[in-house]
Amino acid sequence: MSNDLSSEMEVDAFRRLFPLRFHERHLQESIRPDARPLGKARDTSVALGAVASADGSALAKIGCTTMLAAIKMEVMTPTTESADEGCIAIDFHMPPICSPLVRPGRPAEAAPVISKQLSDTILSSGMINLKELSLVSGKAAWMAYLDIYCLDADGALFDAALLSAVAAFSHLQIPVVSLNDDGRVVVVSDEDGGKLEKEPVNKEKRKLKLSSIPFSLTCVLHKNYILADPTAEEESVMETILTVVLDSSFQLVSLYKPGGPVLAQTSVIQDCVALTRQRLKELQKILNEAVSDMEED
Amino acid sequence: MAGKSGATPSTYSPSPTTQNKKRPPIFSDVDWVRSDGRGFHQCRPAFLRTGAVNSASGSAYAEFGNTKVIVSVFGPRESKKAMMYSDSGRLNCNVSYTTFATPVRGQGSDHKEFSSILHKALEGAIILDSFPKTTVDVFALVLESGGGDLPVVISCASLALADAGIMMYDLIASVSVSCLGKNLVIDPISDEESYQDGSLMITCMPSRNEVTQLTVTGEWSTPKIHEAMELCLDACSKLGKIMRSCLKEAASPVQE
Repeated sequence: MSNDLSSEMEVDAFRRLFPLRFHERHLQESIRPDARPLGKARDTSVALGAVASADGSALAKIGCTTMLAAIKMEVMTPTTESADEGCIAIDFHMPPICSPLVRPGRPAEAAPVISKQLSDTILSSGMINLKELSLVSGKAAWMAYLDIYCLDADGALFDAALLSAVAAFSHLQIPVVSLNDDGRVVVVSDEDGGKLEKEPVNKEKRKLKLSSIPFSLTCVLHKNYILADPTAEEESVMETILTVVLDSSFQLVSLYKPGGPVLAQTSVIQDCVALTRQRLKELQKILNEAVSDMEED
Repeated sequence: MAGKSGATPSTYSPSPTTQNKKRPPIFSDVDWVRSDGRGFHQCRPAFLRTGAVNSASGSAYAEFGNTKVIVSVFGPRESKKAMMYSDSGRLNCNVSYTTFATPVRGQGSDHKEFSSILHKALEGAIILDSFPKTTVDVFALVLESGGGDLPVVISCASLALADAGIMMYDLIASVSVSCLGKNLVIDPISDEESYQDGSLMITCMPSRNEVTQLTVTGEWSTPKIHEAMELCLDACSKLGKIMRSCLKEAASPVQE
């Protein structure tokens, strides 16, 4: 019956009343409502140094999905088990500005899930050697607080969040610090650089060495179709999603499929991994360009 | 891995906090130069854009120096079930900060006081009767705090409301002035705010020449208050023009 209706109805009305049929119609023609082919991700951009009050920051955009990540470095006393290691604390926030579904005092369900996924991915990928965050063995080490804010939520939140997080780490400038007489770590400011009383403890270690940076691609699985980089509308209407994280040497870091009626067969997972490999090259290029743009300035 | 497992060790920021520092004597002199090189009666350059958040009904981004703010407007949408029937619409405001907005890492929690000031500043300009039984939500996030946060949030919020097509009597522009010793300093940055003797903020509708909110704190003499109000009203009308042109700019490509 709705088939007959579709020929008479306005496109927008049809889209709202029968969202699934609307999308399936497109899928039959191997195209998506925003004119993308099924395997193509949206336009992506990265800008480094968006927040001056942080030690490292980045703004990442995938289509309309926007993430702002910033790192603040604080000093902590390392535990006795890992005396020469620093720490990274990762938190993902969805403030009420980002989506009509989030309201103050009622946080989004997705936020803690993504927060945990990000934390697991970044720490287990081995991108950062925690030993590099040590200042004085057993006495002082860096605690890197990475906070990621979703400014606009339009699907593929994890991908955008991870991209902004790794970009913020590549922008990170560790402040030069020295130990004062009370044994506290203080920043060496440029102004009194001439009359230095104490030698800085980390003159050499201003940048973290990032090895094997992880990149991800989320795909929507619907019947036999695989749609890369879904929008919020596609995510909400279709059956399930699958997120693949690969590191820069194409090693699998993480694979995440949160239930849903479609089972991911081996061939489907292989297809998703292949799509992620292509996407990884794109993302690497975008990140490298952002870094070299910043160095030129 | 040592992520967030177990109890988070207590940490401190290595940068010296401004609270411990004494007020530099320079501020009590008659002549000194502001750290960003502005004149005392000169505002920071304002950057305003509408349509920052796609999933909102209306939104705006404002950047005044280092102060960066995003405001999203949602609705008019159904009021909470618990609310009584009302002939006029409701306005719901919320202001929050990111954890990295301030020099020392904060908790990123809601700012209740600012939320209520924002509500009072906007309420008078919105034609609430135009959306009975429903609520308009105005949510602000301060991405970076560089001083004069509240006036920027208020001006940005009125721009976002206009972007959402909410009926208003006029745009709302807001500017603050700090009193530092003998001088009045308009649109103060964080450092100037932390050493101020008093502060005055005006929120007004520039084309109607009506004030929706006036806040005065600290030590003021009557002639100083007059002078500060003149300064603010003048700056508000200029800011109002910038906001108007920003809206026109956003609307013009659609007409083509």
